[in-house]
Formats: sequence, C-alpha cells, structure tokens
Amino acid sequence: MNMFSQKIEKLIFFKKNAGKNVKASICVMGLGQLMYGQIGKGMLYLTILACGVLYLISRGFTDFVGFFTLGTKEKDAWFGIEGDNSVVMLLMGILFIAAIILFISCYLSNVRDAYETQVVVEKGGKPRTFSEDVRKLLDDKFYKVTLSLPIIGVFVFSILPIVFMIAVAFTNYGGNIVPPKLVDWVGFNNFIQIATLSQFAPTFGKILNWNLLWAVSSTFLNYFAGLGLALLLNKKCVRGTIIWRAFPILAYAVPGFITLLGFRFMFSYGGPVNQMIIDMGYKAIGFLDIDAKWMARLIGLSVNAWITVPSIMLLTTGILTNLDMDQLEAARIDGAKRWKQFTKIVLPFVLFSTTPVLIGQFIGNFNNFGIFFFLRGGLYMDGYFLASDTDLLINWLFNLSINNNYYNIGAAISLVIFLITSLISLLVYVKSPSYKEEDVFR
Amino acid sequence: MKKNKFLHAADSVITHSTLIVVSLIFLFPCLWLILASFSKSGSIYTYEGFFPSEYSLDTFKTLFTDTAMYNYPQWFMNTLQIAVFSSLIGTFLVILTAYTMSRFQFKSRKKIMKGTLILGMFPSFMGMIAVYIIMTQFGLINNLWGVILIYSSSAPMGYLTQKGFFDTVPYSIDEAAKIDGATNFQIFQKIHLPLSQPMIVYTALTSFTFPWSDFILPKLLLKEKNLYTVAVGLMSLGETEFSRFAAGAVFIAVPIVILYFILIRYMISGMTAGAVKG
Repeated sequence: MNMFSQKIEKLIFFKKNAGKNVKASICVMGLGQLMYGQIGKGMLYLTILACGVLYLISRGFTDFVGFFTLGTKEKDAWFGIEGDNSVVMLLMGILFIAAIILFISCYLSNVRDAYETQVVVEKGGKPRTFSEDVRKLLDDKFYKVTLSLPIIGVFVFSILPIVFMIAVAFTNYGGNIVPPKLVDWVGFNNFIQIATLSQFAPTFGKILNWNLLWAVSSTFLNYFAGLGLALLLNKKCVRGTIIWRAFPILAYAVPGFITLLGFRFMFSYGGPVNQMIIDMGYKAIGFLDIDAKWMARLIGLSVNAWITVPSIMLLTTGILTNLDMDQLEAARIDGAKRWKQFTKIVLPFVLFSTTPVLIGQFIGNFNNFGIFFFLRGGLYMDGYFLASDTDLLINWLFNLSINNNYYNIGAAISLVIFLITSLISLLVYVKSPSYKEEDVFR
Repeated sequence: MKKNKFLHAADSVITHSTLIVVSLIFLFPCLWLILASFSKSGSIYTYEGFFPSEYSLDTFKTLFTDTAMYNYPQWFMNTLQIAVFSSLIGTFLVILTAYTMSRFQFKSRKKIMKGTLILGMFPSFMGMIAVYIIMTQFGLINNLWGVILIYSSSAPMGYLTQKGFFDTVPYSIDEAAKIDGATNFQIFQKIHLPLSQPMIVYTALTSFTFPWSDFILPKLLLKEKNLYTVAVGLMSLGETEFSRFAAGAVFIAVPIVILYFILIRYMISGMTAGAVKG
C-alpha cells in the first residue's frame, strides 16, 4: 500500500512539473524530443509510433478480436469459404497482447526520456545528442544491449509456447476439434473433466501416485548413492582414486538415450539377461512386458540411478573438498563414531550446499520423460487411458497431446504438473538453509 | 594396537571390493555395447550369453556403406551440424546473459531471475505443440536450422550456473578497470572473457551434448528420413539390427566420452559453481 501511495505522489509531482515538451511527448511519441532538437531520437520514436499504429490498423485489431472469438467462420470446401484457423488466431492474439505491452513500455520510456531531458535543461545543461545517446546505451545501459537478443529468443521459443499452452488448457482444442473446425473457450471444463470423468480421473490418480513415489524414491536413491560413492572415494585408504573415478565418469559421458536403448536391449526377450536365464534352464522373463509392473519399475529405478549417480558423485566430490577437515578430526578425538560424524557434520554441510541441486533433481525426476519412454514406450494398458503402469505424468502428457491429439487435456495436465513441482520446490526452498543466506539471490 | 591394524586392513579390503563391484556395474554395460558393435552377426539372438560369438569389423563397414534403409552417415552429419551450431550460438547467448545478470544492477533484474525460475518449472515439452505451430508459421519444419534456432535461443534459460561463476569474480576488478576509464564492453571483453575460460568450455560442452543426444525435438520437427539425427535414427532400429545399433551408438559416444575425460576438470568446477550459488 505504501509503495502504491508513493507512486501516486510521484505521479502528482510529475504532473505539476512536466513542461510543454514533455506534454508534447505524452500526446505524440517523439514530439518532445524533436522540440528539444533531438532529431535522431525523435524520429526513431515517431517511427515506432507509426509502426505501432500501422500494425494496429492492418491486423492488430482483428487479432485482438480473434483472441476472444477464436474464429467465427468454419471452413466449407463446398461453398469455397476459406474459414478461420482458430489455433493460429489464438497464437496471433497472444502476440498482439505482447506487442501492446511492448508498445506501451516504449511510450512510457519516451515520456521518461523527455522528462529527463527537461530536468537536464532546467539545470542549465544541453539535451543529449544522438551519438551521446547511443554511447550511453552501449556503456551505462550495456545490459539492455546484451539482454535483448536472449530475451527475444526466450520469449519466442519458451514464453510464447507456454502462454499458448496455458491458454489451450482453457479451450476445447483437441480430439476431433482441430482446425479447420472451430475451437472455443471452455473455462475450467478440462480440469473438471480430468478430476471427474471416468475416462481420465482413475488414470490421473494412479499415475500421480506412482509419479510422486518415483520422484521421491529415485531422488533419494540417486542422491545418497552418489554421496556414498563420493565418500567412499574420499577415504584415506583408497588407492588409485583417479582410476576408480573413471568408471562412473564413463557412465556419465555416454549419451543418455544410448544407455537407455542399450538397457532395453539388455532386458529384452532375446537380450543377454534372458539368454543366461534360459541357459540355466528357466523360462525367459519379460522384464519390461505388459504385466511386469514392479519389475519394470525397479529396472527403471536402477537404470536411472546408473545414469544419475555419477553426476551426483562428481558434484559432491567437489563440495567435499571444501569440508573443514579439522572439524572432523576434532569430532573424532571427542569420540564421535563414523556414523555420528556423517550425520552431524558431513551431511548437513553437503545438504546445505546442494539444496538447489536436490530440488533440481527432484523436478528432473518428477518429469523424467526418457526413462520409461525408451524402456517401455508406447504401451497402452487396460485400466489406464492411453498410458501404462510405469508411465509418469509427463509420458502420459506426451501420449495424450503429441501422439493422440488431446491437446487441451495435455495442456491442463501440464498445468497440474507445474503446480505440483513448483509448490513442492517452493516449500523445500523456503525451509532450506540456503534460502536464509542472503547471498543466494545476490 | 594389533587389533587396530587388523581393522584397518579389513576396512581397506571392504572398501576396495565395494569399489570393484561399483566399477564393474558402471563398466559392464559399456563394454557389452562395444563388444556387440564388433559382432559378426547383426541380431541379438545369436549371442552366447552376453557376448557375441564371432567378432569382425563388418558392422562398422555396413553402417557407413549400406545406407539404403538406414543412412547413418547422413544422420551423423545432421547431428553434427545441429550440435555444433547450437553450441556456438547457445554458449554465446548464455555467457552474455549470465554476465549481465551477475554484474549489472537494474530494475527488472530480480523479476527476470524469478521469472526464469518459474518458467523452468513448466514441463519441458509442454509448449512443444505451440513450438510446432510457430515453426510452421515460420516455414521451418523439416529444416535443420529451425532446430538449431530453438536449441540456441532456449539456452539462456539455463544461465544460473554461469552466473554463479561470474558472481565469484571479485567486483573490485571491475571498479579498478572503470576508474581506468574502461567501458562496460571493454571490461567484459578484456577481463571477464579470459577469466571465464573454464566456464565457457563447460557451457560449450553441455550445450553441445544436449542436442547431440536429444530426440524429442528432432523427432517432432524433422519428419524426413534424410533429416533424422542419430538419436532418432537409432531409435528406429529393431532387435535384429542390434549390432548396427551398437556400432552407431559406439561411434557417436566415443568422441563425447573422450571429450568428457579431457575436460572433466572444467565439468567439476562448473557443476560445483552452479550448485553452491544455485
């Protein structure tokens, strides 16, 4: 509230003091700058204004309307009607909103700039020339130059798609309703469907349970196995640490999909594991078969550990080198057993340094698409709607939206995944000691 | 005293035998794949236990000569092109972003940092369908450069590790340079760029290996068989082509593995820097 009233005060102050040139800039972008004799900058602002108006007239307005209607004319080949493409209209509508925000911020910067010049002139200075402005942008405002390219890229390929999918979660886009058919806004209908419809609800519940179990257990297993390995290699009696360390690094360096496909071959019917079983006189086991629920889950867990443990080991090795050895020595002299030393000194220290990694691991495992996609991809089971009992939410999302066109349901599930992961990581993060450290967010 | 010595010896034996077991667990699948790539027959069914019965170099020969069904050389060149260019552009953008976020105090800085954290929470391919539609609008479907564009422009999202590194460079260096009259660009070019060499190596390596082994994006955007990357191509091989899969896998894994072993020092320092600062 305080900030708000401060802002209002500032605005009143600004209104009182704004000279005629600033007011000109408020009316027409760039006019004030021109009146100060800043030709280059004034023309630049005028061009932006012209482009903005031109865009608004030529397509901006129809895009804006299209965002709400999502198309009114359905394609009819019989009558030769072109028809509206709802999906493109949705995308263009989002782009329009982004463009308007950009335009308004340009306008505000124009007013701010004119005001700055006024202050300078009132103090008896001269308005900056265009080349001075450019130099200022390249030096003092260097961050604007360096960030512009990354921000554009991230906007187009990360933010825009996510906003689009959030919007899709509230439409009926998907199933039979894809262009040329018209899409409509349906509010929270998709979420209600996931929670209640017999088609989705049981599958969603089962997969969510397994997904949480998977994320917790695999994060726990990987983290402590990696830490254990690092501690083992850190022992004084170990000889040839470099050689021992090379094997996990080897596993770490092999591209993930090769490992996963390799393990699938290993556990397949003709694979070596089954051949050994057959040679010993038993029947081949379908490790990753349709009825191999827990077997497949356990294999997934261990294969995931095989892939992830080396990276945790490398990470904790690096952190353990910063561990205060004197403290451990003191504890030993005081008669602390190894286990006590571990739980009271080593673990808190490592946990403190790696909380962000732990959160990252948890989210990564929660959304671990590759494991079951490669090991057991494309299985659809009874009792599950377009999924299998090892599939995680992210695999289900893939099956629904990319393989089977249920875009709206897929988008709604993505939002649910987002809510779960962000809530959990927020909780862990706020409770973690590294959050209380001021420096983390420096 | 004697008892103590005995305990030490026992401890050492247990430790080393655990290490042997762990090493075997990590080595065995790799060894299995390498040996399989030298097997004489293609199918996995002809093996005796884990290992092929006869060895030869034929699989590697067919991998590169028999391209009618599975054009491995083409896949390899596609993957190489995507990975090299994504790595170059992506590294440039990430380093720039991280440097800016670490060194400059500006109004929207915290907002951007929180925003990227939140964006990172969304499932990675939630927006894939939208990306697909955007790419169709740009006319970049079935185009290697479209894939490169996406990889490199979403790279700056992962700037946190690099920012953590820049945070450790003392601020007084910047101030000293500023007093000497250096512009911000000069400070970046003459001081931070040389200092951050290990970080650049780490960034380049990680942004090379990700496209090198990614499969979702190429599978979605590259529909023509000639535009397949190795990951997509190898996925389409069945059990009867197991040796071909092994050979193809070994051939693309070996350069990466060698690269990792050479650059492991940078990897560890990069990972630790990112972990501590988050």
